[in-house]
Amino acid sequence: MTPSQSLAQDLAELDLIVVLRHAPHGSQWVREGLDVALVAAAFGKRVALLFQGDGVLSLLTGQQAGPLGQKGTHPQMAMLEMYDIETLWVSGSALAQRGLMPDDLMLPVRVMDVEDCRAVAHAQLPTLVF
Amino acid sequence: MALHLINRSPQAEAAYRDAGALFVEGDDLLLIEDACYAALPAAADLLTPFRGRVAVLDEDLQARGLSGRVDARVTIVDMTGFVTLTEKHDSAMSWF
Amino acid sequence: MTTTAARTLVVEGREIELDPEGYLVSLDEWSPAVAEALAAEESRTLTPAHWEVLEVLRDFYRRFEMAPAMRPLVKAVKQSLGDEKGSSIYLMRLFPESPAKVTARLAGLPKPTNCL
Repeated sequence: MTPSQSLAQDLAELDLIVVLRHAPHGSQWVREGLDVALVAAAFGKRVALLFQGDGVLSLLTGQQAGPLGQKGTHPQMAMLEMYDIETLWVSGSALAQRGLMPDDLMLPVRVMDVEDCRAVAHAQLPTLVF
Repeated sequence: MALHLINRSPQAEAAYRDAGALFVEGDDLLLIEDACYAALPAAADLLTPFRGRVAVLDEDLQARGLSGRVDARVTIVDMTGFVTLTEKHDSAMSWF
Repeated sequence: MTTTAARTLVVEGREIELDPEGYLVSLDEWSPAVAEALAAEESRTLTPAHWEVLEVLRDFYRRFEMAPAMRPLVKAVKQSLGDEKGSSIYLMRLFPESPAKVTARLAGLPKPTNCL
């Protein structure tokens, strides 16, 4: 449960953690989680995202609009950098369970082991799960 | 330590899996709304990651006719118990 | 997302629909002449310095499908036009009141969500 040293440094500089755990397109969860992260960042809060479970699928490369033209969440994901949201943590086991590698993702991320994921969830920072 | 809240029925296994992945010693899980069905003995496997630290909200149990059907390893709490659990923990996370 | 027109603006003989807050109902209706007309409504004159910022906005929308709030607007301008112009003071001077909202309207984008 004790975070590794570099993670502890990241945590010390944060105001908010948003956990994304749903796949894109099927529901509004990813969009709502990203909206919260972007609003917080627009207000000057320092935000990190933790992708867990199906949430890692929202980072897959090659996403497009839906068949009826529904907007995807990938443009918002690409926009995170413009809001200075650059701390992106990804559960390594969630990736592995879905047969994915970091190269399959559209943004540079930090792959985390289960201990570090738990440390993030218990960092006593405001944490919102979507 | 953290209080985890789940409100989805056992059909939504991912909520239990994702919460369980981040659950540590000293955390508590509280089952509310449709998650009450996970308090039945038949759903016990779903609750193994939570190491016996599972409670369920009595008001939601009663509404669903589940009083008397709860697994003996699950603690039944009322709204006051819910508040006590919230006070006990540094943070709360909701898993939808 | 559908928006209803509250009024229209006639630009070069065409009726352009505006929503209750003055943003274009249909983003495809935008043209430089529309931007000029929208600016004139607010007694703004568009100089090359304004236009290059509006172009940054339109590029931002092409990439991210959203209009930027102030912070990412400053960052986008900085990336495209350099450090000197990528500052909130510079943008406040060019687009007084609320640069993120004013520039989005003039560039024919939706109103920025996440905006202060």
